[in-house]
Amino acid sequence: MTPISLLHRAAPSLELLRHLLWRSGRGAFRLRATDFPRGEVWRQMHQIGNRSLLFVCVTLSFLGMVLVFQTCLQVNRITGDLSQVGAEFIKILVHEFGPSLCAMMLATRVGAGIAAELGSMVVTDQIDALAMNNVDPIDYLIVPRFVASMVMTGALTTVGVGCAVFAGALTAAYSFHVNPVVFVDPSHVRIGDLVTGFFKCAAYGAAIPLVSGFCGLSAQGGSAGVGRSTTRAVIASSFMVIVLDFVISGVAYFTLQSAP
Amino acid sequence: MTAMVECRSLCKSFGVRPLLDRVNVRLASGEICGLIGSAATGKSLLLKLLCGLQASDGGEIFIAGRRLDASSKEELQQSRKHIGMLFQNNALFDFMTVRDNVAFPLVRSGATSAEEIRERVHQTLRAVGLSGSEEKLPAELSGGMKKRVALARALVARPALLLFDEPTAGLDPVTTARIYELLGAEQARTRATMLLVSSDVDGLRRFVPRLLMLHAGRLRYDGPSDKIDSSEDEVVRQFVRGADEGPL
Amino acid sequence: MISTLRDICREVGAAYLLLLHVGTLLLRGRFDRRELGRSLAAMGADSLPIVALTAFFTGGIMVIQAGIFVRRFGAYGLLGFGAGYATLREVGPLLIGLMFSGRVGANNAAELGTMTVTEQIDGLRALAIDPIAFLIVPRVLAMVIALFCLLLVGDAVALSGGALFGKWLLGVEFSSFFHSFADNLKLADLSVGLVKAAVFGLAIAISSCHFGSSVRGGAPGVGRAVNAAVVASALAIVLSDQLITVLFK
Repeated sequence: MTPISLLHRAAPSLELLRHLLWRSGRGAFRLRATDFPRGEVWRQMHQIGNRSLLFVCVTLSFLGMVLVFQTCLQVNRITGDLSQVGAEFIKILVHEFGPSLCAMMLATRVGAGIAAELGSMVVTDQIDALAMNNVDPIDYLIVPRFVASMVMTGALTTVGVGCAVFAGALTAAYSFHVNPVVFVDPSHVRIGDLVTGFFKCAAYGAAIPLVSGFCGLSAQGGSAGVGRSTTRAVIASSFMVIVLDFVISGVAYFTLQSAP
Repeated sequence: MTAMVECRSLCKSFGVRPLLDRVNVRLASGEICGLIGSAATGKSLLLKLLCGLQASDGGEIFIAGRRLDASSKEELQQSRKHIGMLFQNNALFDFMTVRDNVAFPLVRSGATSAEEIRERVHQTLRAVGLSGSEEKLPAELSGGMKKRVALARALVARPALLLFDEPTAGLDPVTTARIYELLGAEQARTRATMLLVSSDVDGLRRFVPRLLMLHAGRLRYDGPSDKIDSSEDEVVRQFVRGADEGPL
Repeated sequence: MISTLRDICREVGAAYLLLLHVGTLLLRGRFDRRELGRSLAAMGADSLPIVALTAFFTGGIMVIQAGIFVRRFGAYGLLGFGAGYATLREVGPLLIGLMFSGRVGANNAAELGTMTVTEQIDGLRALAIDPIAFLIVPRVLAMVIALFCLLLVGDAVALSGGALFGKWLLGVEFSSFFHSFADNLKLADLSVGLVKAAVFGLAIAISSCHFGSSVRGGAPGVGRAVNAAVVASALAIVLSDQLITVLFK
């Protein structure tokens, strides 16, 4: 395969990607001017947010327990002073594990959900039927999901962090006899941590619907095609989360975290 | 009479395989026409080209005298308002109820009031025999019911050109007969131009006065449906008779 | 709420029965060995690039996070230890397991789901071939072996990536990174991670096979099954993660 023919084959995908980025960005700022039914953003917020709530709470609680357990074991082995574990745990949860693990979970649930829905719309000609009625699939389908995901990723992360702190405090109290009052100590959280966490949530919340919407809309070929595009959406949005985590953490390390 | 649909030397190929090779079709306004051909000969593709869902490689398409394939996005949207399409696998929006699905073309065209939309949806659903299923989701319907909802959605805005991709595929003979009857009644009322693609050659022949046959990218037959048996083309004769021996 | 609970119980029960069935067939050695080879190639070898990339960035992220502490306390000698401990025991298996679930688990559910809706599974039954012995047991075995091996590679890549970013971002020499790592970590830290990998592999395999082979309703059904499979895998991964962490302290 020559580079030219590769480019030629990639051209429709690149065109779709350009539309996705441009329309979603524009749509997010001018909600009223774009073209989707009223209440669609609320419906998607329910779909993405409320229906992932239990999943995020359970997974983040267990991850909170594991992280606290591992840390306490290690600290016991070295210094034996467990009083700082809670404060440090909350700090790292806010700027790193909370947003990133929550987004990894949402990449599987929300990413797969969006790609499966849009992919089966493509292979059953529903996207063409929208076009016949002069509806742009990106304005109509992606923009509401994009806006809903941006809002709900932040909300779910907040709840998830709460669950993880609660579960972590329980683990520390039962397994290592750390007083929960000592454990739940947010004093180490700086403004820089909050800003880092916020940027991560926003970036993940934007990336997941875009990546999985792209995978869903480029599905082709029956039920096998829907399966393939859903798989690609999970893998691509999870990988996107890891790369964004790395990039934002790196930038934060040199800017926000170096401030006292 | 002006032509509703006119294609001049229309070409389309995927990769190296030509699916349509210099095809000329002309449908007068108010005409009913059937399109037949073996599987994967580009019948569905021709319909998608006619409503601008696919871009052609060459040739010209005119819908009601307006050039479709070289038009701007706004002109294309304007042309599509006069086209109703029934997709091969119905393409019902599975997140909408039957009522919302059928109302969709009217809601999107924006020209009608809410009261009128409700009345038209009710009428159309009654015409296809689906009164009382308004609040159901497509997933709760049987295959024949889905087809009739899709039909209602294609008809509801009373477009001047109707394209049907396999309107009777997978349906029992009674439902098939009802659907043809329904299409006939609709045509008598609105004088719309209809182009039907079907693999059910016999049923289609009884309904349409004119037949087209696509084979290997070329139009092999274009004429009255009762004369197709005595076509000079051996391929056409074999296809229509379903004979085992012949050039196919 | 009650009906959701009932659904969850039903799915978990069905997955458990599948696990028992697979276990019995595996012990009796009744499965298709050619399919095992094919699955190992498709699931293991083909996932290598994405696992290696994930591991590389994971190493980087862990060095940055450990670096925040290290810089605060000036304990640059502990960087290799901190990043290595977190990567080997916890973050490595978790992230690589989740990526594996997306790449292989989702793919497997999609494949089995497509075979189910196109009646290929019924076709096998009609030929008197047990679809579980023919399709599912080899895949389960292949996923356990593949994730175990991929984690070994992933750990190595993550630590190399960590060392690279440690030098680049924090100016910690390679030798100091690896000494701090080798002096403070035991084989046990690595093996806990590997145990996790094997159990995650089993969890991903069972949930994806279960949801894949119980698909109903055409193309949308396949999409929903893939969605359910990855969600169930993620839940199973975090639950077994907690269990193994407590058991192997």
